[in-house]
Amino acid sequence: MNTHPYLRAYMAGSAAPTMMLVVVLSGFLIARYSFQVPIPIERAIIFPMALIPNLFGLWNMFYLWLRPRPHLPIGFHGAILPFVIAPLGFLLATCLGFLATTSSGLVWFHEIVIPYAVLAGVFSLALIAYYLVWKYLVGFFNQVLGIA
Amino acid sequence: MNENEQKNFAEQLKQSLKPMNRELDRDLWPRMLCRLDAGARDRQWLAVLFSPSALSSVPWFDWALLAVLVAGVCVFPKSIPIWLYHF
Repeated sequence: MNTHPYLRAYMAGSAAPTMMLVVVLSGFLIARYSFQVPIPIERAIIFPMALIPNLFGLWNMFYLWLRPRPHLPIGFHGAILPFVIAPLGFLLATCLGFLATTSSGLVWFHEIVIPYAVLAGVFSLALIAYYLVWKYLVGFFNQVLGIA
Repeated sequence: MNENEQKNFAEQLKQSLKPMNRELDRDLWPRMLCRLDAGARDRQWLAVLFSPSALSSVPWFDWALLAVLVAGVCVFPKSIPIWLYHF
């Protein structure tokens, strides 16, 4: 019997960001309507809604494929993902017109200026966040679906 | 039944009973694990994820990383929309 381990790996990987989507959308709505940050929600939501869950699923399938081979623990495997996601996110945000590069730093949503030095810190924190999410959330979903 | 017969009867009774095994002939721990696992299956997944046993198994450096993460977001709250965008 084929137990479709790659399909289960995809589902386990995409579960965490799909759950987070409610938080993301709420955050965008609060930022836009309470703090008057001009976030174009209809364009900005494309990346977290359509791409991130798929990338998580594919990355978890890749982890499953690596399992019989020499591989990193799941937390470190997940911490590599921002190196893929961040450039894609920047590219999409630039194309959709809510990210601009200036000499002082990146300007998000025409209002939020992130200096390049701070950007490095934010990226380091992203690595930590992805490490924890993959180690505990995706690892748990893998265990539940029997592919850990 | 006189005393002699009683002794004889007691002797035969002793011989008919097998000697008691003080050591267990099987390992009880796998059965205990099965019972624990069955209990976990009945619980909601969120309760399992945030159960005291699961939380106590988190190493201290992961708690430290979480603290760094929360502190980083608090120090630079402007980055929250970017976080939301990338998650």
